[in-house]
Amino acid sequence: MSDTIETLVKSVHRDLQSNRTAKRVMWLYIGSGLTLVGVMILVGLGMRMAQGGMHTFQPGLFYSLMTLHGGAMMVGMALCGMGLLWYLFTLEGPLNPITAVVACALILIGAVLVAISALVGGFGAAWTFLYPLPFVGTYWPSWATGAFLAGIAFVVLGWTVWCLQMLGGVLTRYGGLRGAFAWDLVWSPSKCASSGRTPPPPQAFAVLVAAVDGLLAGSAGMLVGVALFVRWLDPTLPLDPLWVKNLTYIFGHTLANLTIYMPLAAVYVALPRYTHHRYWHTSAVLAVAWWATLVFVAIAYFHHLYMDFAQPRAVQYIGQAASYLAAFPPAVVTIFGGALLVYRSGFRWTLGSMFLYVGMIGWTVGGIGALLDATVAFNIYFHNTLWVVAHFHTYLLEGAMLFVLGWVFHCLEERSGATSSRAVRTLIGVGVFGGGAWLLLGWYLAGAQGVPRRYALQPAPGMEISWWASLGGIVLIVGLVLCGIEAIRLARRPARQEISVA
Amino acid sequence: MRLTPELTIFGIFLMLSAVAICTLVAIAFAAHGPVVAQTAVQSPGYRLRRVWFRGLAIIAVVGFLLSLPAFPYHTRSQPASSQHHPVTALQFAFVVPPVLPLDTPIVLDVTATDVNHGVGIYDPDGRIVAQVQAMPGYTNSLPLALKKPGQYTVLCMEYCGIAHHLMRATFEVR
Ligand code: HEM
Ligand SMILES: [Cu+2]
Repeated sequence: MSDTIETLVKSVHRDLQSNRTAKRVMWLYIGSGLTLVGVMILVGLGMRMAQGGMHTFQPGLFYSLMTLHGGAMMVGMALCGMGLLWYLFTLEGPLNPITAVVACALILIGAVLVAISALVGGFGAAWTFLYPLPFVGTYWPSWATGAFLAGIAFVVLGWTVWCLQMLGGVLTRYGGLRGAFAWDLVWSPSKCASSGRTPPPPQAFAVLVAAVDGLLAGSAGMLVGVALFVRWLDPTLPLDPLWVKNLTYIFGHTLANLTIYMPLAAVYVALPRYTHHRYWHTSAVLAVAWWATLVFVAIAYFHHLYMDFAQPRAVQYIGQAASYLAAFPPAVVTIFGGALLVYRSGFRWTLGSMFLYVGMIGWTVGGIGALLDATVAFNIYFHNTLWVVAHFHTYLLEGAMLFVLGWVFHCLEERSGATSSRAVRTLIGVGVFGGGAWLLLGWYLAGAQGVPRRYALQPAPGMEISWWASLGGIVLIVGLVLCGIEAIRLARRPARQEISVA
Repeated sequence: MRLTPELTIFGIFLMLSAVAICTLVAIAFAAHGPVVAQTAVQSPGYRLRRVWFRGLAIIAVVGFLLSLPAFPYHTRSQPASSQHHPVTALQFAFVVPPVLPLDTPIVLDVTATDVNHGVGIYDPDGRIVAQVQAMPGYTNSLPLALKKPGQYTVLCMEYCGIAHHLMRATFEVR
């Protein structure tokens, strides 16, 4: 008897220990991710103010900073999502923390190389490094191109390690592809019910899709990376610009999309905890929605090549169809499901739950902007204008980033048992959502008037709009600083004296 | 500011966003109403979801079909006798014909000599009327009919290096 109790105590102890390690890994990822995002937001404001004529950046510096901002933001947001998913999965099955730390280290080494390349070397081919730009007519030394490509290679390597680890994890835990995709739940629900096996929880689908599409994007990224690296060593290597462009956007588009889908797991897990006994469970509909996401996120990238008339005609139509179809899972299942979960649920509003909920709103609005732009008839007017910048900042800044902040505050609130006052919440809400909306509106408005993106100095009416929009950016940053102070306040409170063996 | 097609799309965007925001905010406020069990909201919720799914599907299909004639790739509607004009982009300038005919179907054969560029065509009022990418090694043929007389401007629509924002050319339409 005492023996069994002892083993039980030991196993509980072991679980707590491994949970603590898992949490540390998560904070390593989210901490470094949010640090990158925070610093890059300041760089972003600097660029926006320069475009508004509040101060000047020499064009070379502007484009190097733009390269750094884009690249580091993608890495930062990806790190946040990776840490979140990694941690959530350890609640389901075992993962080796050392592998995760190695993946994180590889990515951070890559980020440092990219930063050196942009800040010291002045590399400025944009984070999409579209061939042949990194080699032709450059204003930076050749080594900076090499350093940048090496940086991308490290990032992709770390990302691939993470994807493989997660994929291995889900396949082992849920019984291969069939189990992880909840195949039986969809096609033979009765068999599934009688087998007594529960399907994977909703967040496991985010893991699966991130890992599978992530490996696809990573392979494309590795392939262009290596091709360009060889081209850097041997300038006579012939490369087809259209082929490279397709690969570049499979990589960039898919990665950017995944940075939104990954932190969605926070919504699945945390949102129900603010309701009165409501749960987010895996249904056949949810499973099918993620299958659709898996496919359409990967092929929607064609919309980046609408204005390449040399591209095979058929894929232009596929691009528009896939872009429309990619909107269905979020609109019909995830956001609808989230709203249904909250409706009349006795929802508890805290800073964490507010971020999670408003993140869904931001994601919706950004999605509307994206769908309009993904319509070829409209893309003629919007392609590579500030409209593009507008919609992706909407769902990165007011979607993905809010999901991450929501998760961070959820953890802080759970740990300390404390929440923020209504006044603080309102203040932060006005800053982050109000300032953010103002900032974003400027990009939409300029985009609708044909102002091109990636211009150090913009033609009218770009400059005037940039000036006004910068004010929104400042308000947003004040809101985020308040957020940081509030996070520190909550983090410094003693942990709740309660051990939950969940 | 005149009401161009782009500003109309912007208006549609604002309207759709307002509807989405108001709906989700209303649901958030309804969270404070009397608490209802999950099972009680689920069945009406799922019924509503079915309606929502079908509605969206119809909008998507109709929208897709309506947008087809506006795909810019059809050269079918363009008479085979249309004049072709070469346009070349390079770091950091465009080579364009100085004069193009008014209201006449033409085709611009666009290419680049060094890196990727974009050819964005702005009418005399400064509104973007057409664009196409300029890629080295490829020729993108843009069918076009310029409807307004006067001076048009070309801006670069693909980031191409340090003077990307300075790339600019003009041509006359008459
Ligand atoms: C206060 C917040 C922010 C400001 C003021 C800001 C500002 C900017 C500006 C001025 C640009 C260049 C746009 C152009 O003219 O083409 C830009 C590009 C970009 N931003 Fe941000 N940004 C902010 C937050 C973010 C966040 C949170 C993310 C991602 C998580 C992000 C990701 C990007 C990316 C990927 C680009 C594209 C870079 C390129 O075109 O190569 N930004 N941002
Ligand atoms: Cu250019």
